[in-house]
Amino acid sequence: MAYITFENINKTFDTNHVLKDIQLEVEQGELVTLLGPSGCGKSTLLRCLAGLETVDSGIISLNSEDITHRPTSDREIGMVFQQYSLFPNMTVEQNIGFGLKMKKLPKEIIKEKTQNIIKLVHLEGKEKHVPSQLSGGQQQRVALARAIVTEPKVLLLDEPLSAIDAQLRRVLQIEIRKIQRQLNMTTIFVTHDQDEAMIMSDRIHLFNAGKIEQSGIPVELYTHPKTKFVASFIGQYNIIKASDLSELIEESFTKETIAIRPEVIQIATKEMPQNNETLQIQGKIIDLISRGNILRYHIEVSRNIILKVDTLFRTHSLFDLEQRVWLNIEKRNIIALD
Amino acid sequence: MALVPLAGVLLFYLIIPLFNLILKSFLKEGQLVFTLEYYVSVFTKKYYIGAIINSVLIAIISATIGMFIALFAANAANHATAKSKNKFLSILNMTSNFSGIPLAFAYIILLGNTGILVVLGKKLGIEALAHFNVYTITGLIITYVYFQIPLATLLLIPTFEGLRKEWREASQILKASSFQYWIHIGIPILLPSIFSTLSVLFANALAAYATAYALLANNVSLLPIRISEMFVGDVYQRPGLGSALSVIMMLLMVIAVYINQYLLKKVRGGGAR
Amino acid sequence: MKKVNFSKWMMWVTALYLILPLVLTFLYSFSSEWINVLPTGFTFKYYMQILPRQDFYMSLARTLLICVLTIVLAGILMLLAMYVVTVYHPKFDKYLQILCMIPYALQGIIIAISILTLYSGAKGLFGSRIIMLVGTYCIIILPYMYQGIRNALRAVSARELIEAAQILGCTRFYAFFRIIVPNILSGIIISSMLSMGIIFGDFVVVNVIAGSSYQTASMFLYKTMAQSGQATSVVIVVMFIITLILSTIAFKLRNKTH
Repeated sequence: MAYITFENINKTFDTNHVLKDIQLEVEQGELVTLLGPSGCGKSTLLRCLAGLETVDSGIISLNSEDITHRPTSDREIGMVFQQYSLFPNMTVEQNIGFGLKMKKLPKEIIKEKTQNIIKLVHLEGKEKHVPSQLSGGQQQRVALARAIVTEPKVLLLDEPLSAIDAQLRRVLQIEIRKIQRQLNMTTIFVTHDQDEAMIMSDRIHLFNAGKIEQSGIPVELYTHPKTKFVASFIGQYNIIKASDLSELIEESFTKETIAIRPEVIQIATKEMPQNNETLQIQGKIIDLISRGNILRYHIEVSRNIILKVDTLFRTHSLFDLEQRVWLNIEKRNIIALD
Repeated sequence: MALVPLAGVLLFYLIIPLFNLILKSFLKEGQLVFTLEYYVSVFTKKYYIGAIINSVLIAIISATIGMFIALFAANAANHATAKSKNKFLSILNMTSNFSGIPLAFAYIILLGNTGILVVLGKKLGIEALAHFNVYTITGLIITYVYFQIPLATLLLIPTFEGLRKEWREASQILKASSFQYWIHIGIPILLPSIFSTLSVLFANALAAYATAYALLANNVSLLPIRISEMFVGDVYQRPGLGSALSVIMMLLMVIAVYINQYLLKKVRGGGAR
Repeated sequence: MKKVNFSKWMMWVTALYLILPLVLTFLYSFSSEWINVLPTGFTFKYYMQILPRQDFYMSLARTLLICVLTIVLAGILMLLAMYVVTVYHPKFDKYLQILCMIPYALQGIIIAISILTLYSGAKGLFGSRIIMLVGTYCIIILPYMYQGIRNALRAVSARELIEAAQILGCTRFYAFFRIIVPNILSGIIISSMLSMGIIFGDFVVVNVIAGSSYQTASMFLYKTMAQSGQATSVVIVVMFIITLILSTIAFKLRNKTH
């Protein structure tokens, strides 16, 4: 049995059916991300695991024990919140040591564990500070330390980095991942930021309106989206009606919608050698956007289709606006969506 | 559950007493017979109607005058430097506590029979001051205005703070005069606050007891004093009548709130926004 | 600018008008005789008359006793109630707010009268004047205690802190009273100081409910009013200074937390 299992979880708030028959498994030591837009239910599932919300039906198991109805304080879980929720009247030390105090551990042990964890999150020197004296990033690290010092069975992170600016967020993402691996801590991470999910996760579960739309390792989700929702949420897919594309090239497709990643389309000024594995179409560059390290072309190939094509930006754009170009796409990169 | 203690106190010292009061106004004293005689008494005897009219009049007038002054004061405060404004706020806070007997006493010093201003008026030949009698409705109104001003100003200052100066600047660029700004923009935005503050001022003055008690003895008939007379004191007690008067006072305050809501809806619905 | 000058003028005139009675009362307490425009002389004799009097201190002590009893009682009641509302039934907050704001609308006279009619002459504890006073004042200060505590709870995000504490292994009761309450202490104190000021200066409740059987500071003041003008102003000055100290403590605390 997996380390954490959710079986047939249903949850309704007033008339809002927030979780619809959720089935999910997490292996020990994994970092799993619950990804999705606001209101999709991912935070609610996390809070059900923490015991902060009750489930209407279903079973939650942790380490082969049914914890569905266990009170929050008995679940041996660590949690980091978006707003940190550090206790304002306690110092960093006291905040971190609080869970250990609740476990009634002897003072010396609390002191030792607290000191070790402070080193781990690089907060030496701040032991006697109160939260109002710390920056956002430091507060988040205190929150993390507080959550893991009790050696919980699972660590829950509810959009912990949403309130932090982009630069610092990247640093913290790497730090959190490092610590998680070091401690082999089973972790569930909730975010709406797909880049973040891709960077940090062993597996991703993409939520849509209370259901899990697709699960898989990051690369899998990115290269093989199953539905239109997944394709538009992850990455920058070109999503087009199969019928529109069929007009241009005599190919038919199994499903109504297809998706193509911008970076798999090759551009050339003249026709390229074709074979059975590829498609070629002509188009006109109508827009050119520089996004730092990526150059994105918007290419009009027909009345209904404008394709986004990404290339790495080396020194300058190889093509100009209004230029007619040839696009080469490998058939295996054309994904049919449900 | 932990709600019980508070619920208990609320029940025994707020809800039950109020119901008892309302009930008593409809029951013949000492019996379980329904009667409207107390209400009839109130509305037919000049003694009681006088008290109601006096109280309502004083409340409305003092609230209006207090509000008027407070509007200017609150506006002035928002144009002052932060330091001045803070000093002003402390003064307002300090003087808002000065009410009841001390206030009545202070005005007796000023405008009583041998009051400073009265003596000054006699010396300088200013008739109005020389013959001023503070133990009248006018005297009472002037005294009431004193405690209405800090209350109203403190309630209005935050609303004036909400009048962003960009709006004033925008109106100036669009060539509106100061007067037009106030008529079309300033006052409509302030109106909800003005109405609710007027409500508070009205209730405050209507129920004011200590100031009236200290100032008037029995010169002017006022509702709170009449009410307390029915329950306390040497004259024989008439709880039924007193309860009816109390119910009427409560109704007056509720009516004030409803008028407030009604006027607010009219202003809002009339497209002031 | 003309606008600024008018504003400043308006503000200071109002301030002056408000301070004038206070200053006058203060001066009056020192004057030997004041029946003309100016006093004839200054003297401390009225202070000497009032300050050493035992019944004066007794009245202050009685007021203080009532204040402390009421505030401690109201504080505990309100905290317990807010505990239940914050942790278990957030939806009750609406009803609690309505109930707690009723006293603010009704004002002292109605509340005092209603309690008097119900309980005067009652047997046992309910009939005791002190119990009736404490009960009445409790109701009267309820709106202020409620607002103060509720705003403080909002400011510290009480619900989120309790969740975090729960995850770390403590009960919600512990979380509320050992973590949240220490953090809202300044809010509680501010409300208490405000309430103390209200009870201290109140006359209507004590006159209606206790009459002269339990003489508090306000009753003492009223009694003195019949005796001597200067003595009255002495009592007023002392009472005012006490109220001032209370509100200054509250003011300083409020500035500290911001």
